[in-house]
Amino acid sequence: MQLVDEGPTAPRGLSTALPRSASLTDALLAPCGHPLAADAVRALRDDLARTLCAVVAELPAGERLRIDAFTARVARHHPERCSAGADPFVPSPATCRRAIGVAAVARCVRGLSCAPASGVFDVLAAAAEDVAVGMEGGARPPWWSPWYAQLPAGGRAVVSAEAVTWATHLYTALDWGRFERRPVVGAGDDWWDCPGSRQLTLKGRADVRVLVGASPAYVVVGNGSCPPDWQAELGLPALVGALARGGASAPCRVVGVWPTSGQVRLLDVDADVLEAAATSVISAVGTWVDGRLEVCGARQAS
Amino acid sequence: MLTGRSTPRVPLIARLRGDGVPRPLVSPGLAGGLRDWLEDGLAPVVAGLPPDAAAVRVRKETLNQVLVCEAHVAARLATAPVMNTAIARGTMVDALFRQWVTTGSIADCSSDALAALGAEGDRDGVGAFVAALPEPRRRELLEDVAEHVQDITRNWPVPSPGWLPRTQDRMEVPLAGGRVVLTGTADLAFGNPPGEHASVCVVEVKSGARRLEHRGDLHFYALLETLRSGAPPFRIATYYTRTGELDVEPVGEDVLVGALKRALDGASALCRLAAGAQPTRSANPLCAWCVALPGCAPGQRRAGTDTPRIPGDPDVEDRGTDAAMHERTEVDP
Repeated sequence: MQLVDEGPTAPRGLSTALPRSASLTDALLAPCGHPLAADAVRALRDDLARTLCAVVAELPAGERLRIDAFTARVARHHPERCSAGADPFVPSPATCRRAIGVAAVARCVRGLSCAPASGVFDVLAAAAEDVAVGMEGGARPPWWSPWYAQLPAGGRAVVSAEAVTWATHLYTALDWGRFERRPVVGAGDDWWDCPGSRQLTLKGRADVRVLVGASPAYVVVGNGSCPPDWQAELGLPALVGALARGGASAPCRVVGVWPTSGQVRLLDVDADVLEAAATSVISAVGTWVDGRLEVCGARQAS
Repeated sequence: MLTGRSTPRVPLIARLRGDGVPRPLVSPGLAGGLRDWLEDGLAPVVAGLPPDAAAVRVRKETLNQVLVCEAHVAARLATAPVMNTAIARGTMVDALFRQWVTTGSIADCSSDALAALGAEGDRDGVGAFVAALPEPRRRELLEDVAEHVQDITRNWPVPSPGWLPRTQDRMEVPLAGGRVVLTGTADLAFGNPPGEHASVCVVEVKSGARRLEHRGDLHFYALLETLRSGAPPFRIATYYTRTGELDVEPVGEDVLVGALKRALDGASALCRLAAGAQPTRSANPLCAWCVALPGCAPGQRRAGTDTPRIPGDPDVEDRGTDAAMHERTEVDP
């Protein structure tokens, strides 16, 4: 594990030289240590599956849990919310900006748009078209597009503005010309269905995936400032990537970028990191199961 | 409909870009030195915070208020914010400025602004406040907003995507392990991330009257951007939508050091308040508007009343903190 403090007084592992995109790209592409042994990942997966199955077995029948960055964070910081009724997801400019922003940056990286603002404009225009076509049975539009399509002009503008700001931060964080193989921006998340249980799925999200040697490395963009438990934040996508892809294709590094504060953290993935991430996931699943049981008990009592 | 793709506005942009003026070289150790200075300065006051205290968040507003009167900021933090037409106007103008810069098109000021606020869940209650206004006052407010927006569309070009414009750009600088957070949101920032030379311009948009503390706000944002990105912005500017005035300033070390000292003074005072210290009362021209006026003897002597005025009340001249800052400068140069 490598701690990187972007504070200029004692940078460890990452140069603070400007432009920062060059320093960050250097750090991202630096050779990794030994790749994770396939046997070690398999053993971790088997142990984790056994433990999680036992924990999830207590979950009321028919209930399912999905642990992602958000639910894991809720379990760590606000366990009381795990026993509250689930708030219905409400799309907003803030909740859509990442989805639109990564699509825009992907267009820029592929040379289809000249800058993040143009990319966002193109993505939104395509989505509006997809919604129209989708109603006639064509390709499935992005999840946010039906909501976006029904907004009046002022609402659409603020969605666009949020996405442009988000996309610009990601686009300027890396030196895209330095990658020998084109990075994958956005694309699909990693999913892992817990073997032996139909009630638990883990989800890992990375905003950018690049190859370092033969192994993938992830870039994850965070909101606000880097939290004290950043290892858990970055460890989850590493763990789910390793579980979903197996040892040979497990991520070797996860880089967290918090553009609002300019902070950067590097997590080189080894067996200890995966072990810590697994422990954190078990704890999160346990917290959610307890919360669901509490809700179920309260429902029965009433 | 107002559209702006085809009309170049050279003067304003030339001033923001500083055409003809070389971009300053970035001093490699500057941001680190400023951060160390803040960390060292805050360490003693942070040590006095209770272990379970929430992070002390330092915004431009709280900084201005606490430097004028600690009792004033303590009272403000303890009461729910009160909406008024000035705040509603500012929020709507900000939303429309953002729309103009992002899309280059404003179809209808009122409906666009309210739709923008609605899309974000009307989190500050501005939409609800406007809807609840009596019809004449609502019409007056919306006409006022439309005038401000006409000024924006007349003077502002729509930035090229190549300038990397970002609106409502949030900045946070956690200090002392996150126990103190300097925070702000720039209305507009543009320019490539800094390399050898400073390259970012930060713009604040104001719909109210020009006030002295606006420079302090801008300097605070210059400090935040420097600490966040490792390099100062090359230009900072305040744009007044009422008059079309643009105040532009280059950012030198003197500006940053001044902003740092001010931020350190304010953050230290806020930490002491968070640690339970009694706020000191400093009579100032803002006393007449202070929510704590009914229980503040020095404030009552200054204001000549124990009944606070309502901010944004069109019937009362709002001197704002400008005069307060002038007085402070005279007393404590």
